[in-house]
Amino acid sequence: MWDNLSLKEVVDYAKDPYPSIRQWIKDTGKKAVGSTFADVPEEVIYAFGFLPVTLMGTNKPLKKAPSHLPDNACSLARSNLELVLSYEGDLFDGFVLPQVCDTTQHLSDIWRINFPDKYVESYLAPRQADRPSARYWVKEEIERVMASLTKWSGKKITDADLNEAIKVHNENKALLKEIYEIKKKNPAALTNKEFFAMMKLSQQVDKVEFNKSLRKIKDSLKTENGKGYTDVVLVGITCDPPEIYDLFDEIKLNIVGDTLLVGTRYIQGVVSANANPIDALTERHFKRGFFTPIHDNVYKNFEEVKALYKETNAKAVIYVHIEFCESQEYDLPDLKAMIKAEGIPMHTLDTEYQTLSLSHVRTRLQAFFESLKGGTL
Amino acid sequence: MSEKLTSKQLSKKITDEYMDEAFHAHELGKLIGYSTAISPVEIFVAHDIVPIYPENHAVANLTAKKGAELCSITENMGYTSHLCAYARSDMAYRKSGITVTKGIPEPDFFLACNAQCFTLTKWFQVLARKGNLPVFVFDTPEHIMDKKAREEIVKYCVLQLKELISFLEEITKKKFDYDRLREVMKYSAQSSILYKKFLDMAQYKPSPISIFDELIGMAIAVYRRGTQECVDYYQTLCDEIQAKVDQGIGVLPKEKEKYRLYWENLPVWFKFSDHAKLLGSYGGVILTSLYVHAWSFEFDLDKDPLVTLAENYVSRFSNSTIEDRVDMAMDLFKRYSMNSMIMFMNRSCKAVSFAVPTLKDILTKKTGIPALVFESDMGDQRFYAESQVRTRIEAYFETLDRLQAKTA
Ligand code: SF4
Ligand code: SF4
Repeated sequence: MWDNLSLKEVVDYAKDPYPSIRQWIKDTGKKAVGSTFADVPEEVIYAFGFLPVTLMGTNKPLKKAPSHLPDNACSLARSNLELVLSYEGDLFDGFVLPQVCDTTQHLSDIWRINFPDKYVESYLAPRQADRPSARYWVKEEIERVMASLTKWSGKKITDADLNEAIKVHNENKALLKEIYEIKKKNPAALTNKEFFAMMKLSQQVDKVEFNKSLRKIKDSLKTENGKGYTDVVLVGITCDPPEIYDLFDEIKLNIVGDTLLVGTRYIQGVVSANANPIDALTERHFKRGFFTPIHDNVYKNFEEVKALYKETNAKAVIYVHIEFCESQEYDLPDLKAMIKAEGIPMHTLDTEYQTLSLSHVRTRLQAFFESLKGGTL
Repeated sequence: MSEKLTSKQLSKKITDEYMDEAFHAHELGKLIGYSTAISPVEIFVAHDIVPIYPENHAVANLTAKKGAELCSITENMGYTSHLCAYARSDMAYRKSGITVTKGIPEPDFFLACNAQCFTLTKWFQVLARKGNLPVFVFDTPEHIMDKKAREEIVKYCVLQLKELISFLEEITKKKFDYDRLREVMKYSAQSSILYKKFLDMAQYKPSPISIFDELIGMAIAVYRRGTQECVDYYQTLCDEIQAKVDQGIGVLPKEKEKYRLYWENLPVWFKFSDHAKLLGSYGGVILTSLYVHAWSFEFDLDKDPLVTLAENYVSRFSNSTIEDRVDMAMDLFKRYSMNSMIMFMNRSCKAVSFAVPTLKDILTKKTGIPALVFESDMGDQRFYAESQVRTRIEAYFETLDRLQAKTA
């Protein structure tokens, strides 16, 4: 199903992966387990023989979610709720839901109450990451979720199952990384939209199959540098709707580095293959980059962004802000000030999942890059 | 010995002494730790650290209707208008010095316990960056219902309390005294029992207290737990209310008390006394909310103090599942014979409010009591639509009257 996709198909599937997932479930008889962002160890779910699917909202109209979550909840949370309540709920046999912020805590509760017949487990990610107790806790949580999945599925997994899952996931990340490197140097080889569609789809479909597509696509990429591209670094949690990438492509921005959960932070999730798998999964949690709800230190974010900017020789930083994401909103003014003090040009995009008209985003983005060229920033 | 003070006098005395100590903390060789309202302050008390609660200071300013002015200042600093009004007014106070009190002393470090909300962690981080000060996050995972998970959560929290103690030892250069903690826990346990007794007096008919009294009577439980004076205060308060009960004195006279209301969420601080009056004119008294009960701790002194601290702090209503919150509210409905409810959707407090629509659905189903839902902001007057709230309250009581007439 996902093993022979062309680049164009990857983009189409990433926009709406659910019909293919539905078909795959029918064909394979397997079960899908959904998760929201962030840090649920997919490898564990995979090792049980389930398809782990990261839910990344829907751009379809909100019908039911507003009566459960008010409009000052972030659109990611609202649209994920809508996705399962109105559109794709039937696809999933269960959910493992992480709690990273106040919004996700309620989301898990609302989900559990609304789907009494489905398996709903929480993944209580620590909201601190610099003390030994956090390490202890991640391990406990991974083990607890494993025990819970065992109870639900009646299946017990072995270290070998986990190691196999880790291998498949690592391979996926390695492929994405290689393709990213090609893209960075050869912006004309594939568009931003195409590349981030791969990142997204990787978190939603069967990786054994999808890795085959990635490998083929990688081998077929032409190394074309193209002309007139401006290298930028993208900072934030996610970047949606995907049409925003069209804007980047239109004004020839080349994303050469990012901190997104649907980007670099995902491929930073390589798990060491030579250790006890649970210990290795635990360690991985602490090796990933900044994520505002769990890292209590904006300086870390700033340092990461600064390093990325320098290392990639980018011309500007684009920060994607999801409206009503409090975590981001408490960090942003200081981050902006620090980046400005460093003399790094930065542009903030305010996004919402249900945004249909991107004309104001386009105008502001264009104006920003015009002034960048004119050297007025 | 002078004459016995009333609870009001005692509260003032305790608060004055506390603030006086806080403003002179450094001269007294003590450090100031900013704390979230729900956090294991017993550890601070045992270690001679003065806890300061920016939330309490914010409440004073918001109650005095300073919300819009303060919040706008913060928005001009680049923060969005939908952050918690406590945080917005606090950040503005720091920038402008505007306050209706004498203000609060500057912190030496921060303790952020997210049992209450995650917002506070982020807010304290903003403050910490300004002064380049340390923040300790006491992470309390949601108190999910699985028994085994709860045991594990408590273990994680105990580990963190130990880390907190090391953190404090490091910054104060002083060894932590566990015997002193045990003593502090005794006071905390006693005052918590008395505080709960005070709140539970709302079960009398007519109720001698409304949530208005409770919000005033709550302050000492928030910031002076773990001291003898806190115990004395609640003893005095309970005695006073008991005297009212004995004389049959209610907030409303018995024959006028028609609607015994449950309130969901924090109050609209700058409107609370108006609301009390308005509701009173319809024969309504707000008896309680889970919010005021957040400090009804039940410490078990037979357990390791860190364990009972962890168990209590992690299980606050704000950190509990919606199902558990329903159970807690149902318990109050039954015990206080409540027959009406106001569900406040507080745009400022996502942590408490995002559960409200679901909570309302379940509670109305379980109790058969219709609910009044209204949206506003606890502290920023710009988001309060006076006539709309009044109309809704009127309409609600008309509905209740009609229902009562039908069943009569
Ligand atoms: S976008 Fe922000 S508010 Fe929304 S779920 Fe993620 S971290 Fe929470
Ligand atoms: S009002 Fe709500 S968001 Fe604000 S500090 Fe209190 S619990 Fe947190």
